[in-house]
Amino acid sequence: MPTFEPSGEKEVTRAIVEGFMKDFHRYAESDVIIVGGGPSGLMAARELARRGVATLVIERNNYLGGGFWIGGYLMNKITVRAPGHKILEELGVPYSESSKGLYVADGPHACSKLIAAACDAGAKILNMTLIDDVILKEKGRVGGVVVNWTPVSALPREITCVDPVGLESKLVIDATGHDAAVVRMLEKRGLIKVPGYGAMWVERSEDLVVEHTGEVYPGLIVTGMSVTTAYGLPRMGPTFGAMLLSGKRAAEIAYEKLREIR
Amino acid sequence: MRSSGKSGKLLPQVHLYPDRSSRTLDLEEIASYLIEKLNRLSVDIRGPLFTERAGVNTRELARELARARIRDPMRKNSDSEPLPAEINLEQKLLQNPELRILGLFYDGVSLWRLALKLIPEEERNHGHLHIAFTNRLFGTWDEADARYHARVSLYGFPCLISTTGIVEAPAKPKEFYALRQHYLALGVPGAYEELKERFRGRFIDYDDERLTEVMKGYVMQALFYHLTGHPFCENRNCRLYNAHWQEEVIAAQLGPKGSEFCEAHARILQELQSSIT
Repeated sequence: MPTFEPSGEKEVTRAIVEGFMKDFHRYAESDVIIVGGGPSGLMAARELARRGVATLVIERNNYLGGGFWIGGYLMNKITVRAPGHKILEELGVPYSESSKGLYVADGPHACSKLIAAACDAGAKILNMTLIDDVILKEKGRVGGVVVNWTPVSALPREITCVDPVGLESKLVIDATGHDAAVVRMLEKRGLIKVPGYGAMWVERSEDLVVEHTGEVYPGLIVTGMSVTTAYGLPRMGPTFGAMLLSGKRAAEIAYEKLREIR
Repeated sequence: MRSSGKSGKLLPQVHLYPDRSSRTLDLEEIASYLIEKLNRLSVDIRGPLFTERAGVNTRELARELARARIRDPMRKNSDSEPLPAEINLEQKLLQNPELRILGLFYDGVSLWRLALKLIPEEERNHGHLHIAFTNRLFGTWDEADARYHARVSLYGFPCLISTTGIVEAPAKPKEFYALRQHYLALGVPGAYEELKERFRGRFIDYDDERLTEVMKGYVMQALFYHLTGHPFCENRNCRLYNAHWQEEVIAAQLGPKGSEFCEAHARILQELQSSIT
């Protein structure tokens, strides 16, 4: 007696297409689009989605989490400095104190818990999707992104011929790390000036990332390491604590902005 | 006001402005030290210079501070309009001078221009020496190698001394940087803490217990600049030595008691002491 129900290939295909299309149709217009599914993007997604905000995360890879899976030297331990450990606690990630104020946790455990928290809260994820451009609405406000499948970008421009599609939103959050991909799109259009690499600094400066998290252009919020590129802040130092707290702050700011818009 | 009397004719009234974020900078001790060196000096300690104050638009001051930030030390600061988050942070720092947020770098000359606007108009003359401590790290542009160099102090009117600059501007031992690069390449977690432990005592750190003692020398440099136009000395063991390495700072400022100044500067101090009426 077979264990599984007798669904054929066509039913499997239809289930994938219908499920994807239902979400894609719904999220062609979101409250917030978060570009980048690393720790700051996922944290922002979790915080927004749990408050009932329609949140779509766009990730260029087929996996989420960015560098949150592993620590230095490919060792799968991640560190956070206080008060970042409170978020680990909130997510139910076991951790221990390595030295005063410095906490260590298993990367895979922390990352998978964060992904699950974002999904459990109701955030939707669009993997293997790369942003191609930004949508500018009335008064030049950022009102969404233009996307394409990630593999399309690997093809020569001359033979690609795959037009992108637009996804609208009330706000966009750039959580693309050092690339600051959305900010760079605005720079290409001459709408914003990106200062470039920040000064080297010996001491860590997580505070700066959190402090500068916010709206960098009407409709666009920056979080995580994108903040360092957008503001020319020191590029070395911030640990994952700053990414998590920055994501949380980005969500708070976005939530307030949405209330203003409404 | 700390004074053994009214300042002598040649001596300015010294006004010290604290850095409230520093836990180890004792301005009372520095004021006493100044009077010990020139006993007719009049010294007072005020509130922080870069803070909210009557008659000054805090938001506008925050905007000017944000504008003074160096975004790229390899490019001369352009006069670009700061972003709202930068202004907000500067406003927060002005409203809370006890806060210290590391990682920001300012154009020293722009900062100095702002500082000048913040001192009382009637005290903008040679009869007053304003020495402001700040936790802001600043640098000056060097045309020779087309980049900014971080500084501990900027002598002018007023004088600025950075409690962050004393940690970040003079270079740490060469081995420190070699090891840091090695650790960074490996991505070793907690590397900076380990490095600090390994090189403890060989550089001035944040909230270093030796900070007040070290800063006495920088205040003397400001005083010499005001009185003679020359803040520095070439003798490595003189408090007026313009140190570029942490080891030089330690040698110049924390050397044996009783021989703080080279013979020439000790003599100048003595002459000043006896000639002041």
